[in-house]
Amino acid sequence: MMAFAFAMMLCLTLYSGVYASSLGKAEIVHFWVAVPAGNVTEPMTLRGAGPPISMAPLTIDLDARGLPKKLLNPDVEAISTHWIYNLGKKPIRICLDLVNVTFPIEWEVKADWPYDPSTHTFTKPLPPGQRIPGLSVDWIFKIPAYYMDEQVIYDGGLLILDADSGQPLTFIPIKIVRGGTTVPQGGVGSCH
Amino acid sequence: MSLEGKKQTLLNNKYRYLSWILGFLFFVGPFAFLTTLVYFAIGNISSPDLHTICLRMPLDWVFSGRIYNLLGSPVMTGFTIIVLLIALFAGPLFCGWLCPVGSVSEAISRVLPIPKKFKLHIRDTNVTRSLRYGFLKGFILVSILVGIGYAGVSGICCRYYPSSVLQNLVNGLLTQPSALDYWHTGAILVLLFWSLIGGIFTFGGRGWCILFCPLGAASGLIHTIGARLGFYRTIKNEKYCKECGSCLDVCPMWAIGVGGSIERTLCINCKECVKKCPAHALNVVWGKVKKS
Repeated sequence: MMAFAFAMMLCLTLYSGVYASSLGKAEIVHFWVAVPAGNVTEPMTLRGAGPPISMAPLTIDLDARGLPKKLLNPDVEAISTHWIYNLGKKPIRICLDLVNVTFPIEWEVKADWPYDPSTHTFTKPLPPGQRIPGLSVDWIFKIPAYYMDEQVIYDGGLLILDADSGQPLTFIPIKIVRGGTTVPQGGVGSCH
Repeated sequence: MSLEGKKQTLLNNKYRYLSWILGFLFFVGPFAFLTTLVYFAIGNISSPDLHTICLRMPLDWVFSGRIYNLLGSPVMTGFTIIVLLIALFAGPLFCGWLCPVGSVSEAISRVLPIPKKFKLHIRDTNVTRSLRYGFLKGFILVSILVGIGYAGVSGICCRYYPSSVLQNLVNGLLTQPSALDYWHTGAILVLLFWSLIGGIFTFGGRGWCILFCPLGAASGLIHTIGARLGFYRTIKNEKYCKECGSCLDVCPMWAIGVGGSIERTLCINCKECVKKCPAHALNVVWGKVKKS
């Protein structure tokens, strides 16, 4: 009985890791950001002043989410990052923007770094090779009911700008679709 | 239990229940008084919450080989080390007396009048222990697989995390109603197993703690070592025991077997059994004790 209980729980825990892997591709997808990277049109690994950072366009398939989510909370989805690195050669004040927004998106930002929520700007320059410490940014997409049956629900992206010059540094395309492929990013399923 | 019985339990264990409130105020945002104090002392400008003292990530980092994360998160790492050190010398006191996750689910279970017959209760401590350490072994294996880059699994510490669920519930109720808008599948499953099945419909209300908390399981193992070395632990004096079974009926961790033996890996030194025992056969002791 003890061996059975042990084995059953071991298998259940391993399976929860497998299930987490499938959920991580479609629910609260975590991704890495590096600046400057230009327009991220395909999977790429950027090497610069800090560690190598892998990035890719994000495509989130709402049909690939878990059953509890589909049943109980289908019209709210989120993406998240804990990692914004400056791989350039000079300190940058980083400004974030989501483009082509056609429905409410809520920003939840926490960081051990000065941040102005009204302009979505980290007000202290981030030195080369460093990441914003203690970062947690969640973008919560509140999808109106009339969008839920669309094939493409959101087609925009995350634009990271130099807050001083206004110059775009990195653009990561983001799509939310019904049916299609999901592209897992570096860091998916890992904890910080 | 009658209303009079509940009142007596409340009085007998008042310090423990007050300690739960303290634990909540210490660690759960927007209060998080203790972590705010620590953040202030180290010059960290962000607002801490329950996630600041993650009960899982440091263990995940150890087994996935991400030691650099431990060094980069001194508060979280320090908290885990302190909890384990306390478990060595004084038993898993954080689990029994301070942890907001465990105390909220136990409190819900104690307050809601669900008849015992509808509550899950495994009386064989060997089975409970096997379930608990089956999970811990699985947690470690998943961490190792993630650490070596095996693509078929993802880490389970953030995806199924009751601290996040509790903190979101508190945020939603107290400061930011929109915190309750987003629920991912893992959070829905955790809410179901932590508060409903593991809380309301589990005897003692600590189903999540018993079965799914890696820090609790690690604390239990370390407490076993500490108890063997003679540090604080709960013991039963056979000479006084009347075998009435009242200790079995109050242990929220199912740590007391049918024969009255205490399963050290489950015991959290909460002293519920010590206060309940009519024959005063149970005590928390330090040092070597003569066998009666």
